Amino acid sequence: MPAETSIAPLGLETIPDEPATSLWRDAWRRLRANKLAVAGLVVIVLLALTAIFGPYFTPYDFLSQDLAHRNMGPTLAHWLGTDDLGRDVLSRIIYGARTAFIVAIVVTAIAVAIGVAVGAVAGFAGGWFDRIVMWLTDVTMSVPNLLLVIVINTSLKPPLAAWMDAEYQATLNPVFRNTVWIDFILVFGSMALITWPPYARLVRAQVMSVRSRPYVMAARALGLPAGTVLRRYVIPNALGPLIVAVSAGLGTAMVLESAFSFLGVGVNPPTPSWGNMIQDGLQVWQHYPHLLAAPAAVLAIATVAFSFLGDGLNDALNPRGAK
Amino acid sequence: MSAEPLLHIENLVKHFPVRLGAFGERQAIVHALDGISFDIETGETLSVVGESGCGKSTTGFAILNLHRPTSGKVVYAGVEISGLDEKAMRPFRKDLQIVFQDPYSTLNPRMTVGETLAEPMLFHKLADKRSVKGRINQLLADVGLPARFADRYPHELSGGQRQRVAIARALACEPRFIVCDEAISALDVSIQAQIINLLLDLQDKYQLTYLFIAHDLAVVRHISSRVVVMYLGRAAELAPRDALFETPLHPYTKALLSAVPEADPEVERRRQRQVLQGDVPSPLAPPSGCRFHTRCPIAQEICAREVPEWREARPNHFVACHLVSTETLA
Amino acid sequence: MTLADPVAARSTRAETAERVLDVTGLSVDIETRHGPARIIDNISLHVGKGETLGVVGESGCGKSLTMLSLVGLLPNKIAVSGGRAEFAGEDLLRLGRKALRRIRGGRIGFVFQDPMTSLNPVMRIGDQIAEPLIYHRGMSRTDARKRGAELLRLVGIPSPEERLEAFPHELSGGMRQRVMIAIGLACDPELLIADEPTTALDVTIQAQIVDLVKELRQRLGMSIVWITHDLALIAGLVDRVVVLYAGTVVEDAPVDDLYAHPLHPYTRGLLASIPKLTDAAASRLSSIGGTPPEPGRRPKGCPFAPRCPLAMPICEAQVPALEAAGGERHRVACFAVDKEKRAAA
Repeated sequence: MPAETSIAPLGLETIPDEPATSLWRDAWRRLRANKLAVAGLVVIVLLALTAIFGPYFTPYDFLSQDLAHRNMGPTLAHWLGTDDLGRDVLSRIIYGARTAFIVAIVVTAIAVAIGVAVGAVAGFAGGWFDRIVMWLTDVTMSVPNLLLVIVINTSLKPPLAAWMDAEYQATLNPVFRNTVWIDFILVFGSMALITWPPYARLVRAQVMSVRSRPYVMAARALGLPAGTVLRRYVIPNALGPLIVAVSAGLGTAMVLESAFSFLGVGVNPPTPSWGNMIQDGLQVWQHYPHLLAAPAAVLAIATVAFSFLGDGLNDALNPRGAK
Repeated sequence: MSAEPLLHIENLVKHFPVRLGAFGERQAIVHALDGISFDIETGETLSVVGESGCGKSTTGFAILNLHRPTSGKVVYAGVEISGLDEKAMRPFRKDLQIVFQDPYSTLNPRMTVGETLAEPMLFHKLADKRSVKGRINQLLADVGLPARFADRYPHELSGGQRQRVAIARALACEPRFIVCDEAISALDVSIQAQIINLLLDLQDKYQLTYLFIAHDLAVVRHISSRVVVMYLGRAAELAPRDALFETPLHPYTKALLSAVPEADPEVERRRQRQVLQGDVPSPLAPPSGCRFHTRCPIAQEICAREVPEWREARPNHFVACHLVSTETLA
Repeated sequence: MTLADPVAARSTRAETAERVLDVTGLSVDIETRHGPARIIDNISLHVGKGETLGVVGESGCGKSLTMLSLVGLLPNKIAVSGGRAEFAGEDLLRLGRKALRRIRGGRIGFVFQDPMTSLNPVMRIGDQIAEPLIYHRGMSRTDARKRGAELLRLVGIPSPEERLEAFPHELSGGMRQRVMIAIGLACDPELLIADEPTTALDVTIQAQIVDLVKELRQRLGMSIVWITHDLALIAGLVDRVVVLYAGTVVEDAPVDDLYAHPLHPYTRGLLASIPKLTDAAASRLSSIGGTPPEPGRRPKGCPFAPRCPLAMPICEAQVPALEAAGGERHRVACFAVDKEKRAAA
């Protein structure tokens, strides 16, 4: 065996000279390269802008009726026609976008907030808390969603409305006059109630998988307290699937809102929602197809856009390279 | 070497309950560690070797209280630390550190190298916001990485580089004792030699004590002062390095040494290898008596009946085998 | 019985007589963001009839990819970009998919690294062994199962008829690897390619498998390519060794020659950095500084130059060719070695 001394100095460690990139930036780059995902993102951004600024530019107010021109197909004056009360369909769709986005975002935000908090602690701490959480999610998910929402709405709405009325009488505070807020609160509340369990389970599963990874054990071995470990080591690494789920979840929430308005337990007329527009349109679509086609098409486009974005996020955050 | 051992481990046991069956209906126990006792002297490198299922990693985790021991004692600097809750354990954590096996999951992917190193120093108040940067650079220099690595994320580093960062992280706490849990097994051969040299240098520089868990006997030979051989959750033999490699007593140790290939074709051709038959039994259902008796070439009836006692057969040379007497074996 | 002679005899036969596999100039590229990058560059190696070739290198050197490229099993984004691979009179790299499928499993057998993921967890062992027999040999199910039991017996699995009914998870790691070997040998291949077959196994189980392979080689006489990173493991197992670094062959020699007189600085560094049981206990190991280049980021010139203690300006500019040095059968790709040889001449 030839004798050989130490070959080269240790300080030969090199890394490429490109600037440091975090995993998030890498993911963003991959997302940008995915054309479908970008298309979805663009559509969603456009819809969001419409939702925010559209109502300032609508040619007509969503309430204004023009009984002389009812149920008209698309014309120059009304790009998407009018409904049976002479209201401009395009304007209602734009307002409907606002409803859809507000509901989708608020509901998903509440659901995610509850889900992450509950799921993360359940996954990390385990034990009795985990068992209670799991039982709760099981119960919530096993009750039929629609039934739950209907029950909540029909049982809570009259007393709430009556209470608001009484308060208005008592204080003459205009805040209590607008009963539309009850609609929104009940819709948000009940939808958040049925949508938080899947997020909790997802986060819990991710946290359970991450918490046994060596870098988490290392953090514990360093003596860092549980809260810090959860916050800096576990949750940031558990977010990937959550982001994908949120993107899909926003789309689902929109459809859910439409479904509920359609059934009359969501946003009620006269507040325009794609859902109640579809309901109205369904009754007369054979005669006036545009009344059904417009809201349905917009809802479909939004859902598909969220779906593409969700897929793109999934690929961007979990790249499957040839390693 | 001081007279008082740094760590005293007594009858350490760790069982894991598992659920078996398609619906998780059956409960079973994995006997990962079933009563192991030894001392770790200050400044030494004690290696733990064995094959899969022998419990060597569990030993490391149990000593550090990362897995709460089912029973048994771990005494550090005179204090019993086994089974302490997280809060009580915290002050000891900076003294007792660990380097894990897989370089690709040992670092938090969302934190830069600098952040990973700063965290323990700031938490244990070993540095403040102003001095931490200097300390980071010093740690990186200690492990042979240039200072600019501090801004990089783990996924931009190679396996060997990540392992160095992991070692730097362990050093950041200014520990006295480091468990190296298969710390080089996942690295390429040429990188392994670098890291071994690094660990030896650091041991000299900072007076560290190592518990070196490995399955590669050749590496163990190079770096240990003493070696303990484990089989299915129990210790088979514990001896100073030379004694273990030159005059092994336990039949398992002999078989293990015989199975390790040598990088020399002549030697390989001429050797009479003692090949063990059968497979390693599962820790779910370990054999009775001496756990090695099912594969032992010289097993007797007593081996299946009684658990062999852990005895000091020669000075400082411990073994658990019925067939090893305290007189010299031929 | 001395084993030294058969080894030398096999090596000589390989040079003069029939070669089962002859690869020349194989190059493989990978698609990256910045265009195709070369990950295997101009590899030439050969396996003689009845010979065992060891392909050695660390991770990223391309040893697995080289073998996979021969039978069209390269993953997405990776493709052969040049070279020839002669097997049984045909160029494997030019064959169509159908022809390659017939060769895979039929005339070239594979044994992979991790038996848990290489065996189908939901298929019984017997069925998995029977598949290649039915597909390549046109056997009936019953005949295939009979042959399956024979094969299991051949690889040392007790009660083979019962084992045919077992699922992979019911067997231990060592047993599963034996099953993989049985599947690899099922159709009496001329060439068996074993890709790190014992890396995932415990050392005592590894010893069993090595014994098994030696015995099978004795009985069946097939050619074997054994891919590994473990230089100690193949010392007693192979007839010749090819050392790969960053997608190129750096040294190619009969096994005794390689260990006794390694020529390439990488080979020497690698051998020197392995701790050996028989050495007097030295505490420092020699090591090679730095890290291997990323696949796809290979430097111009000799890929080992950045880490090489003997590097000269020419090493960074040109890729050294694989040439004979220190004996006809010992080839090395290094400018420094040539220089020494020429200086000695």
